[in-house]
Amino acid sequence: MEIINVQDLYWQYYSSPDHVLKGISLSVEKGEFLAVTGPSGAGKTTLMLTLTGIIPQRLPGKFKGEVTVLGESTLSADLARLMQRVGVVFEDPEIQFVMGSVEDEVSLSLEPLDLSEDELRRRVNHALKIVGLDESFLPRNPLQLSGGEKQRVAIAAAIAKDPEILILDEPTSDLDPLGKEEVIQAVEKLRRETDLTIILVEQDPEIIQRFADRVVVLNNGKIVFDGEPSELYKNPEHLKRFSIYPPELYELSFKAGLNSPSYEKLLEMARSGNLNHDICKFYETRSEGKPKLQAVNITHVYPGGVKALENVNLAIGTGELVAFLGPNGSGKTTLAKILAGLLDPTEGKVLIDGKDLRSFNRLELASKVGYVYQNPQHQLFCQTVYEEVAFGLKLRGLPINEIEEKVEVALETFRLGHLRDEHPFFLSKGEKRRLALASVYALDPNILIVDEPTTGQDRVFSEQLFQLLRELAYKNKSVIVITHSVELAAKYADRLIILRKGRIIADGSPVDVLTNDAITRDAKLKTPLIAQLCKHGNKKS
Amino acid sequence: MPTILGELTGFEAKNNVYMSLHPVIKILVPLFFSLDVLLIKNIYSALILVLLVFATILFAGVPLRILKGFLILITSISIFIVLSFILFTNVPGNKLFEYTLLQVDAEKGTLVWRISLTDSALIKAGIFIFRILAMIFTATLFVATVSDRDIVWGLRDLHLPLGFSVAVSLFFRGISLFLEDFKIIREAMMSRGVDFEKTSLSKKFMLYVNALIPLVSLMINRSYEVSLALESKGISPWTKSKRHRKLALKRVDLAVFVLGFAQLLIFGVI
Repeated sequence: MEIINVQDLYWQYYSSPDHVLKGISLSVEKGEFLAVTGPSGAGKTTLMLTLTGIIPQRLPGKFKGEVTVLGESTLSADLARLMQRVGVVFEDPEIQFVMGSVEDEVSLSLEPLDLSEDELRRRVNHALKIVGLDESFLPRNPLQLSGGEKQRVAIAAAIAKDPEILILDEPTSDLDPLGKEEVIQAVEKLRRETDLTIILVEQDPEIIQRFADRVVVLNNGKIVFDGEPSELYKNPEHLKRFSIYPPELYELSFKAGLNSPSYEKLLEMARSGNLNHDICKFYETRSEGKPKLQAVNITHVYPGGVKALENVNLAIGTGELVAFLGPNGSGKTTLAKILAGLLDPTEGKVLIDGKDLRSFNRLELASKVGYVYQNPQHQLFCQTVYEEVAFGLKLRGLPINEIEEKVEVALETFRLGHLRDEHPFFLSKGEKRRLALASVYALDPNILIVDEPTTGQDRVFSEQLFQLLRELAYKNKSVIVITHSVELAAKYADRLIILRKGRIIADGSPVDVLTNDAITRDAKLKTPLIAQLCKHGNKKS
Repeated sequence: MPTILGELTGFEAKNNVYMSLHPVIKILVPLFFSLDVLLIKNIYSALILVLLVFATILFAGVPLRILKGFLILITSISIFIVLSFILFTNVPGNKLFEYTLLQVDAEKGTLVWRISLTDSALIKAGIFIFRILAMIFTATLFVATVSDRDIVWGLRDLHLPLGFSVAVSLFFRGISLFLEDFKIIREAMMSRGVDFEKTSLSKKFMLYVNALIPLVSLMINRSYEVSLALESKGISPWTKSKRHRKLALKRVDLAVFVLGFAQLLIFGVI
């Protein structure tokens, strides 16, 4: 039975120059698990908003076509009533919480229903149970939970009202591997225990392959593919045309020259040493001589007594690309901020070129260590792209022609030359990220620290970004990246540093670290297939 | 459940009797004090109000270190008020001190700028300062004793729509998000070389003006996302809930209400 029907849908926000959705036609059957994927900015979230009726009823813009959800046209349906039958979970687990306790949050959407106190409590408890949370979570503040727990509370809040359709908009993109796994298990349980129709907007091909009955690829506001996930991922032509990355098994099988994806065959090839040499090509530390940056016995305790770091020691050399990995709250960002001189450690010291970091003034320090924030919006505060990149250079009192020259180089390096007079506020997410990097790069620091640059970005952009960071490492910059993406870290980093509970539990090459079961188990990391295979092949170049 | 101040600073009121009052009463007590600020007419009632709010703060167990943070603000505002009354106004009364700063003879008369300190000017300045003190103490009492849940439940008990009550509680949560964003933006400026300790006041002002760009854009984004989240839960500002989580008023609640209302009447009269 068809429960969603979209006919020739066009939508344009009043603020955007072009249509975001261009002639979308789509039908979803009851009980189906539909995945929607595609690059950032393709219109995926906008399409989801049209299925909830928020577009066109609440957001201003031009709407053409017809959307019918559960037999009601979204143009005329009573939104509050429709939303009792459709549950939605958004990407950012924090921003969707409006109440101060898990109990209030989950029961909020039940408030307009005429339920008895007992029934309400039963529904709240049942919803929490489905997502794997018990009653002890009821009085807790949702904002103080871990990432995976937060997103599971959001799912519980969406399913407590017993909807017929559940829309999950990139629910795992902001999460660490552990949180991601927790949400995946919750979705798995939902699949098993309910007959919900689920629409999942997702970038991760592994998740799509694992759950979806059907996948729709959106590109530039149009549906460019509609079929089974295996049909999409086994066709290299599709992947190339739609700028989509397949699950790792498919990717490695193609690279190894296999006709169809097969873990067994890949393993056999790895064991017999026949695995294509390029597959097991990892970067290796090229650094020689004295370390560029050193952390010596760093301990940090936040006011209130939370110990974020305990006796951390590390050394990073010139031209190294180092990835910090570890669960949320393991101390990655605290360590990075201490290394950048933005936070004073409770104990220990940081040395840059052998000199204590505290001996540099703020301006000198910013010329030695650049820090790029997770959310680029936090560090863009000028009126134009040009001004933004020039900001730090002007502070240093450089002559105008020198500033011009350095800004041009930075803008070209990060492909922003055509946007030099644009206001940073109006850039796309990816452009803002590149501008944040450019504004730090222009100061020519020898050490660059980048905090979770790929969160919420599609794989194509993430690959481009890591390639850029790799190029910077080749230019003898020491680059530290904080990331949750084990695959990208394994592919591009020279070294992985794994943190857990404020301590470094591993520091070594990607293959060595990721094939050590004790470490991956302890840090709750998923070992990428490539690392498993290359361990067998024991090949490095 | 942490209070608004608890979420911001980790400190909150400790007195169990006050904290276990009905949410409506915890909202009404600061509201009564705010109305008092409008009602006071003389220096004595202003002083009594300051002492009364301060005593309530002490009773509620609000950590006094929170008030310490306001000392510089209170002192500078007080100096500003007193100087304004001395330098720029001429309040009739018994002259305590007078000094001519400037006297210019012109064709159409003499222009005189005179510092004139009278007892009435001092009393007026005192009332202003006490009013500001009472407002700061009242706001502190409110944020240190009221949580998100108190606001939602309290406002709903006052028969306001669910959506509106949620929106008010979100406004207070927005303050902590705003401050958190401001802290990160300031840090981001430092990471590019800004030294706030060594920057001149005018330059610092310009930098803070610049910080408004990301602050406003983040605020717009957040408001948009929160409103989407609320819509997706079927909640709009005028959504009415059929369910009403009625908390019973205890004797102590009624007693506090009567006391609060009585003092409001007294301030209206004296």
